[in-house]
Amino acid sequence: MEADAVKPLAAAIAIGFGALGPGLGIGLLAGKAMEALGRNPEATGPVQQNMILALAFAEAIAIYALVVAIIILFV
Amino acid sequence: MGKLLSSPKLLVIAIAAVAALLVSVAGGALGASFGLGFLGGPIPFISIPAERVAFIGSYPLLNSTIMFWVGGLVLLFVAWRAGRNVKDVPSGWQNLMEMIYEFFSNTVDGVAGGEPKSGRRFLALVSTIFLVVMIINWVGILPGVGSIGRIETIEEWVHHHVEDLEAEVHEEHPDYSPKQVHSIALIHLLEEHGDDTFVAFDGVFVWLGQGEQARVPLRHIVTFEDHELHDLADEVKHGEDISHDPVWERIEHDIHEGVVKEAFTYDLGGPSQTPYDFKGQTAGLLVPYLRGASTDVNTTLAIAIVAMLTVQIWGFRALGVRGYGGKFLVNPISQGPIATFVGVLEGFGELTRTISFTFRLFGNMFAGEILLIAMAFLLPLIGIIPFMGLELFVGVIQAYIFAMLTLVFGVMAVASHGDHDSHAEEH
Repeated sequence: MEADAVKPLAAAIAIGFGALGPGLGIGLLAGKAMEALGRNPEATGPVQQNMILALAFAEAIAIYALVVAIIILFV
Repeated sequence: MGKLLSSPKLLVIAIAAVAALLVSVAGGALGASFGLGFLGGPIPFISIPAERVAFIGSYPLLNSTIMFWVGGLVLLFVAWRAGRNVKDVPSGWQNLMEMIYEFFSNTVDGVAGGEPKSGRRFLALVSTIFLVVMIINWVGILPGVGSIGRIETIEEWVHHHVEDLEAEVHEEHPDYSPKQVHSIALIHLLEEHGDDTFVAFDGVFVWLGQGEQARVPLRHIVTFEDHELHDLADEVKHGEDISHDPVWERIEHDIHEGVVKEAFTYDLGGPSQTPYDFKGQTAGLLVPYLRGASTDVNTTLAIAIVAMLTVQIWGFRALGVRGYGGKFLVNPISQGPIATFVGVLEGFGELTRTISFTFRLFGNMFAGEILLIAMAFLLPLIGIIPFMGLELFVGVIQAYIFAMLTLVFGVMAVASHGDHDSHAEEH
């Protein structure tokens, strides 16, 4: 295969697999946070704050994959 | 619904919103496949490195640097407004700044152990990082940033790229004369980038409604055939002077002129295939005057280095050279080789934290920029508004994460190794 033809494919694979893990992670995280909120609605503030912080960590991993995909495509 | 119908004001607003949405869908890239697309523009060239705008002496001024200064000016202005007229009962700007200060003062104390003032040493850097990153993220998505700029002509683009290639060619064939190197580099460039697309401009503006069709490949700006390039490359390799070869002269002339030579339209499908003829129009790339500072990896790396270096300084000051250095360099004889290995890993950890700081912020903001560009292309006018809101949110969240992580790493650095050691002895 030619390098130009493989490039979009490589970028798609990079972001596809790269988004898989963080997607699962974000789902688990938000699910557990909702569970905690259901058990203890008074703790909404801190739970929500920590959830957003942890979500951003999970999301950052997908962003690494995105950076790799962008570099494959545009550099 | 009944309320909506009974109030004419609400009804007008609702109709206007729906109409704007329809206009945006029809005017963008989605509408273009149905023969509309009257608001669509071509996707601008996406460049990962920040672009040079001007030279100050020999110092290249990058467009992201300018935005960093703008962010600094905004912060200075806010600080000046807040500190100009300090009152016991705060109001306005002073209130805002006191709120931010109080929030971070409480947060650092909470993370650093819970006692009042236990986190004082972290406060300055952590709150500074938060404010700086938040402001540069926010000024980076202002309208006009990344969309207004000058046009890089084909000649400049070629010159720029040939310079890079010349070094490669010179390395491969050290016996070539500079002229030969230049010719070979240019031939390589045309061969490799013949299908790269440039935007056809009508003078200064990219007119709306032309969509992706306004992009023209290099082949249609500089006309050449592959076999002509091969012949030229052979001639150059044999040491012949090609500067008066008619093909070479035509190529150089085309590069200098930089206008579209052949009528060209992208085959996008749909009925709007051939309404434009860009023949004779100038082609080039947009080099924005302004670019969000956090979409440049240099900025984020700089902030990450400052944060991680300061973390090391905190560690050394709190534990001393032996105490803090002992976390990374462990004596394999008295503590065992595994502890030594873990110490080395911890040292690498500091390095990887710097890198992950860099790419977390850069990746988020750069991806946001591309998202905004793509939305402006797909759904102009309206489609971009919710994503602007999302970017504001992402900007503040990323700033908060950067600051909080610096704080957490700092707290970990100043924590003494004592707890760990007593654990190890128990086992």
